[in-house]
Amino acid sequence: MREPRIRPDPAFALLELYERALPEVYGYLLSRCGNRTLAEELTSETFLGAVGACRKQGTPPVSVGWLIGIARHKLADHWRRQAREDRGLRLVHHGEPETVDPWEGRLDALRARQVLARLGPAHRAALTLRYVDGLGVPEVAGHLGRTVHATEALIVRARAAFRREYEGEEGGRDRAE
Amino acid sequence: MTGPSEPRDAFDTLRRPHQPIEPDPEFAAELRAALRAAVLAAGGTQMTTTDSRTVGSAARMGSLTPYLPVPDARRAIEFYVAVFGATPLGEPFVMADGTIGHAEVAIGDSVLMLAEEFPEIGHVVAPSGGATLRVEVPDADAAVERAVELGAERIGPVEDRGHGRSGRIRDPFGQRWLVAMTEREPTPEPTYRHGEVGYFTFTVPDDEKAKAFYGSVLGWRFAPGNVPRAWRVEGSGLPESGLWGGQAYAGWKLMYAVDDLAAAADRVRASGGVVRELKDEPYGRTADCVDDQGVEFWLWEE
Repeated sequence: MREPRIRPDPAFALLELYERALPEVYGYLLSRCGNRTLAEELTSETFLGAVGACRKQGTPPVSVGWLIGIARHKLADHWRRQAREDRGLRLVHHGEPETVDPWEGRLDALRARQVLARLGPAHRAALTLRYVDGLGVPEVAGHLGRTVHATEALIVRARAAFRREYEGEEGGRDRAE
Repeated sequence: MTGPSEPRDAFDTLRRPHQPIEPDPEFAAELRAALRAAVLAAGGTQMTTTDSRTVGSAARMGSLTPYLPVPDARRAIEFYVAVFGATPLGEPFVMADGTIGHAEVAIGDSVLMLAEEFPEIGHVVAPSGGATLRVEVPDADAAVERAVELGAERIGPVEDRGHGRSGRIRDPFGQRWLVAMTEREPTPEPTYRHGEVGYFTFTVPDDEKAKAFYGSVLGWRFAPGNVPRAWRVEGSGLPESGLWGGQAYAGWKLMYAVDDLAAAADRVRASGGVVRELKDEPYGRTADCVDDQGVEFWLWEE
């Protein structure tokens, strides 16, 4: 017999998954944005946005990984909004390098987080997605709504800004080895 | 600088898989309520999920479809299969905790939806009373007996009150049924006269390529057939049609009904065609033929 295709409402799966997924999504967002109020806002946006998203045709099954993907988009959107607002306030140009300086060694995790938090939203978004989340450049470009080429250039500038901040901060005492 | 295991790029040490963090419980509760409201607000219209465009099943989503709350959906489905001759449609939707969040069965030409109880939206079995569903079966007496054997409660005798024989039960899952004898004539099997096309087969060397091609160009859909690499074609408008891969002949190959297969095969040869293979199939005898210009076809005697 031929069977009608069954497509149960996947939003129920979302409700089912909520208790388990909430700390994962919130943990992801809080560790990236470092601000409880913002993490809560973005967590809400993630779950409520997922209701509509999971009902679209061709959406993968609801899972923690899928929700983290939505959370990442919400976070990237937040930084993009912030970057747009900042652009309106000031024009910053440092004459930044266009090539990557090799920088070897290991960064202190706590200080690296503090440095990331002090960077502008565009730099912070680029480095978080590229290095903290470990995405490839094309994926980062997708999240930031830029071309791959522009994203590569942004990452180079973000790296330089990060390194300046990291090394300058304590007179180079804790410079990466 | 340390050993060779040290990362080459300092930025690589920023990599940090996230750890779960419990948020403020008050926030968690507020968001849970908001999420539930968002799911249920739009959920009512989206819970009807059978794709009614799919042709071929006797059961269709009609204008009215019951959606039953049951305490144990797996057992309920078994019961409806055993008593009402239901056919499960697809796989039940299983929630993370193992409960059934949604399932559908076909009974005759109708679809019945069910889900295990979901108190948040009031999807619970009525403690007593409740709506009655009228279901048609070929033999009301036998169906009621079978239901009672399987734990249903009999409500009154099976009798004819002027509308055909019927009986009433409350099934083991709390649902009330009026079990009525089917009154409609069953749809007769189509018959084919001599010379008419009985089946359309699109034979191709590569069925996956053909599915991709015609799926993309014409929007045809394909359901698995009875033999390997055979697919029922949905969307061609042909009443009985299939795609069959692994075949040397590429193109539509029709099956013509004939009164007398042996005599028809003789006429094929006499007219310059070739009869390649005679076969006995569950649906009749067939002859695989090629006409005098190279077109392949089958003859078929029921």
